[in-house]
Amino acid sequence: MSGNYRQWPMILFLGILTVPLILMYVYLFVDTVTNSPPGSMIPNEFTTEHWRFLWETIPGRPSIWVATWNTFVFATSTTLIVLMISSAAGYSLSRLNMPARSFFLGSIMVLHAFPTVTLLIAIFLILQMVGLYNTLIGVILVKASLELPFGIWIMKGFYDTVPWEIEMAGIQDGATRFQVWTKLVLPQVKPAIMALGIFSFLAGWSEFILPLVLAPDNKVQVLSVYLAALIADDNNFDMALFKSVGVFYVLPVIVLFVFFQNKLMNIYSGGTKG
Amino acid sequence: MGNSSVDVADVGGAKTRVPPTSGPKLSKLASIGNSKYLGLYLLAPAFLFVFVFFLVPVVLTGVFGFTNMSTATGISGGSYLVNQSSMLALKDRHGLDEIADDLAEVVYTIDEDGLAAAAQGKADAATLAEFRDKFLGQSFDNRRDVERAIKSLNSRPSSTRVIKAIAANFERSVLNIRFDTEEELFAAVSDFGVSLDAEQKVALSDVAYTGWVFTTDNFKRMVSLPETTKTLINTMFYVFTTLILFNTGFALVLAISTHYMESAPAGFFRSVWLLPRITPPVLYVLMWKWLAWDTGFLSVILEPFGVEPRNWMLDSPANAWTFIILINGMVGASMGMLIFSSAIKAIPQSLFYASEVDGATRIQQIRHIILPQLRFPILFITSYQTLSLMTSFEYILLATEGGPGGATEVWALTTYLKALSNYAGALEYGYGAALALVLVVIGVALSIFYLKLFDFKTLTAPPKIE
Amino acid sequence: MQKYWKMAAAVATSAMLSVGATAALAQDYTITVWSGGSGPNDNYRIDAIKIAADFLEREAAVLGEELNITVEGKPYTQWDEFKQAVTLAAEAGTAPNIVVAGHEDIAAWAQSGLIVPIEDYVDVDSWPINDIYENLFDISSFNGVLYGLPQDAESRPFFFWKGHMRGIGYSDADIDALPGRIQSGEYTLQDVLVDAKKIQDAGLVKPGYGFYPRVSNGPDYWQFYLSFGGQMEDGSGKLVFDKAAMTKFYQFFVDAVAVGVTRKNHIGTPWDQWYGEVASGKAGMWHGGTWHYKRYTTKEGLDDFFGSIQFSLIPAGDADGAANTITHPLVYLLTKQDDDDAIAIAADLVKIASEPRINALHAIKSAHLGITKSEASVDLYSGDRWAREATERLLPYASAMPNNVNFGQYWEIMWGGLEGSWTGQKSVADAIADVETELRTTLGDKIIIR
Repeated sequence: MSGNYRQWPMILFLGILTVPLILMYVYLFVDTVTNSPPGSMIPNEFTTEHWRFLWETIPGRPSIWVATWNTFVFATSTTLIVLMISSAAGYSLSRLNMPARSFFLGSIMVLHAFPTVTLLIAIFLILQMVGLYNTLIGVILVKASLELPFGIWIMKGFYDTVPWEIEMAGIQDGATRFQVWTKLVLPQVKPAIMALGIFSFLAGWSEFILPLVLAPDNKVQVLSVYLAALIADDNNFDMALFKSVGVFYVLPVIVLFVFFQNKLMNIYSGGTKG
Repeated sequence: MGNSSVDVADVGGAKTRVPPTSGPKLSKLASIGNSKYLGLYLLAPAFLFVFVFFLVPVVLTGVFGFTNMSTATGISGGSYLVNQSSMLALKDRHGLDEIADDLAEVVYTIDEDGLAAAAQGKADAATLAEFRDKFLGQSFDNRRDVERAIKSLNSRPSSTRVIKAIAANFERSVLNIRFDTEEELFAAVSDFGVSLDAEQKVALSDVAYTGWVFTTDNFKRMVSLPETTKTLINTMFYVFTTLILFNTGFALVLAISTHYMESAPAGFFRSVWLLPRITPPVLYVLMWKWLAWDTGFLSVILEPFGVEPRNWMLDSPANAWTFIILINGMVGASMGMLIFSSAIKAIPQSLFYASEVDGATRIQQIRHIILPQLRFPILFITSYQTLSLMTSFEYILLATEGGPGGATEVWALTTYLKALSNYAGALEYGYGAALALVLVVIGVALSIFYLKLFDFKTLTAPPKIE
Repeated sequence: MQKYWKMAAAVATSAMLSVGATAALAQDYTITVWSGGSGPNDNYRIDAIKIAADFLEREAAVLGEELNITVEGKPYTQWDEFKQAVTLAAEAGTAPNIVVAGHEDIAAWAQSGLIVPIEDYVDVDSWPINDIYENLFDISSFNGVLYGLPQDAESRPFFFWKGHMRGIGYSDADIDALPGRIQSGEYTLQDVLVDAKKIQDAGLVKPGYGFYPRVSNGPDYWQFYLSFGGQMEDGSGKLVFDKAAMTKFYQFFVDAVAVGVTRKNHIGTPWDQWYGEVASGKAGMWHGGTWHYKRYTTKEGLDDFFGSIQFSLIPAGDADGAANTITHPLVYLLTKQDDDDAIAIAADLVKIASEPRINALHAIKSAHLGITKSEASVDLYSGDRWAREATERLLPYASAMPNNVNFGQYWEIMWGGLEGSWTGQKSVADAIADVETELRTTLGDKIIIR
């Protein structure tokens, strides 16, 4: 790919630009297990004290394990809902000729323009009317709904790349369109489902504003809100502790990333045809 | 059997070719599977979710933007309350000074009607008898004195709540009582002896209502505040600078430079630059704070060079903006990087080899081969990211909260702060909704514009099976 | 007429019936308490309710009734999320029974019906309510009705680091005389700037640390407005914007930056860092709250508070103003609930929790001040030097922010103007002009602009 060109100038150039980023991430991990004397960046001792939140509960906060479980439930549930609904809706918009198709598609694009912030109070009211304010289920439903436009768009893009011949063959063999979808087409878009699944899980795991406003109670607190509250608390300023909680929080993200980055990077390749 | 597009029946319904052998009767599911309503069934859940949690809130937000909803008015409606502030408003706004003063009087009268009502409430007969003896016909101008009167009896009730309940029966005035409806308010006022004509009733109802009302004041306020312009300028500056520098600009740089590397270093750089996007915002901003704050990395590193430790992020508006753009930009660049990279990958290798044979430099390759192919992706990223940037505020909230002194406050952030954050707990939902409405209108306009730009039709070509 | 009295009768009936019913069955109540801005030293905000519950249960037993009260408490360390949570929970019908909030919330919450007056449930002539300081009683009232009971009192003093004052030539006698000079108006805010500069020039503190104010928004800043003669509310319930006083107030901070004793971007410094610095003598003068005493001596490890720090009222700005301090009591408030009996129980709990001995537990543990007159003679309280001295020197001169529905907006706008001029983004004149425009547009006739 680089042909006859030397590649080191490129690597150097990008390398220099990337240094701050690398620094921040390296120190993120280093600071969680070391202490440095004040005013210096060089650690001088190893310690596990920053990880004490794992076995001690900080007063006034829920246990970190409760928060972790909540976050896990939240991320997984939104992912499942988004996957199921997006794969159905994406197929429908891509393949089936139904009334007002272009209307749905257009509205999905337009919906992307709506910032969450504009909807918060109204969403709160709706949740409150159905009694789901301050519950995990409520936030899950909301987050899933807000992710749907993106999910449908991506799935539709991938469905568009599936050759028509597969479906036509299926129809000729006597399958219903539904069977064609579930048995023939869905396996074709497995990469999309994986990518969207991972993407949605990551989005759910990182979500901050929605749980902050709609589920602030300790019992349903998620890790992002936990960490933010920890940082904002001026009785306990301890950058190393924040980073340790942060690393704990980001671990699943890193794991998913390391194993699935290729799938992640492919997420956009099905969507934009020029 | 080739089903060419010519064979496709151009009818709205799904005309699939049912297999010639009739076979067993189609089951219900199968018939759904074949029906023209399959699409609708598949789309229904999505539609439901989006409707309830997306469309309805949007409509509600639009409605709230035209109200004065706030902590003081409450969300679910209000009552009618005559109190010091509403009487003040009656004087100021409607000039009904005398009526206001009359209504603000507190009167408790010990009369037969009150005693009868107290008896109905099963107050102790002995207590009431004594009370009648000692206090019949007297008037008090505050509740505490009535209660003291009751307490002075020999057969006083032992429970405070009972005392208060008895006292309540003698209240004749309307001050500080919450009435659920207008009618109740007017009835009580006329019972109290204050007569109002129709116009005065309207005025009283207007000042006494504690709930929210429809008003266009939000927009008037928005238009006349100097900070609205400032926020607008901030938002445009933020969106376009980040867009050009990072979301599009640096994304191009990343995509192109990784193209010119072996897959190992290329993969490394791509992964590193994807990290900001997948790192949870709270943690990501924390790392930047570690870098930039007084006790952070930059200060420590630069101290031996004689540079005073300072809060690099909040030191001045320029500093704050630099960091905001960096923080958001690094997150935004990754999406463009991925899309541009895959677009570049789609360019046939032969083009590159041919140009190398012709002696082209990298710059020439970039200009003549790569960039033309990227025209559509660049346009797409620009439009999509404009919308994303315009509506994003999470990182700014976490990093500078709009500081220093509102220098980095963008429209979306103002919306959040006005509606949900106030030191004295005076949240202004109505005004926040109005701000949000403006954002939505701009967002919708922009997205429709972009849709037109990208020839929406090609994305919605009719399916080929039909 | 009938209709209205029927309503009153209904209220009376239900009250009496329920009271009657209490005698018959065992009553179980779960009372939830939320408190805002509460750190580890503030646990008694909730624990006092638990103590009160035990007492109420015993009183009921003495009367032959059975009462079981479970108290569930939830402290919030921040104010923002706390107020958001309370308001939204109230709309959802899940508000806690008791809320410990700032007194400034009473106005908006009373107006919207989120809270109910405690006066509807307790006798104001009973103990300890009849012993509460008058100004605190007023601060906990709105529109003449007592809405809540003060949970704690405090004031916001001005602090000096004695070592540095000595370093610029003050003798111990001078330092002792300082509070008196400030109170009489002799030592003003201009003198503060002069002395802060001297401290800095003498190299005793680093530049920007001569005068080290609070790092975020707070009631404290209104003190400086008062110092220049400003008024927050006139007697009749309308807010007041005194342009001259506000201008001088903003100008003071701008001058502090110009002289170099305060940093331009001082606002936003992390609290933790700020506490550490002022408690260890890195700053010359600063201001804070009476609860700082606890923070400095416990968490920040300052051994000799009285030997190292001198405190006083906030100095007057000039001849127009006077030395002052603001007290920002937190109050116990009762939220509107469906179950009237639960509200009554909550009211009684709050009343008992305000008794001198119990309140003193909170006052001394968290270094706040007492709310009742007899609290000053509780041993725990009178034995505490800080409680004694602060009460004596500060409380009599304390004013409070008004309980006014629109005060929250006024406050935000004031802060915006201060931040803008302090950080140098606007000139003071521009900031004042913007503040005026914004006040006119937002509050209209609810504020008097002088």
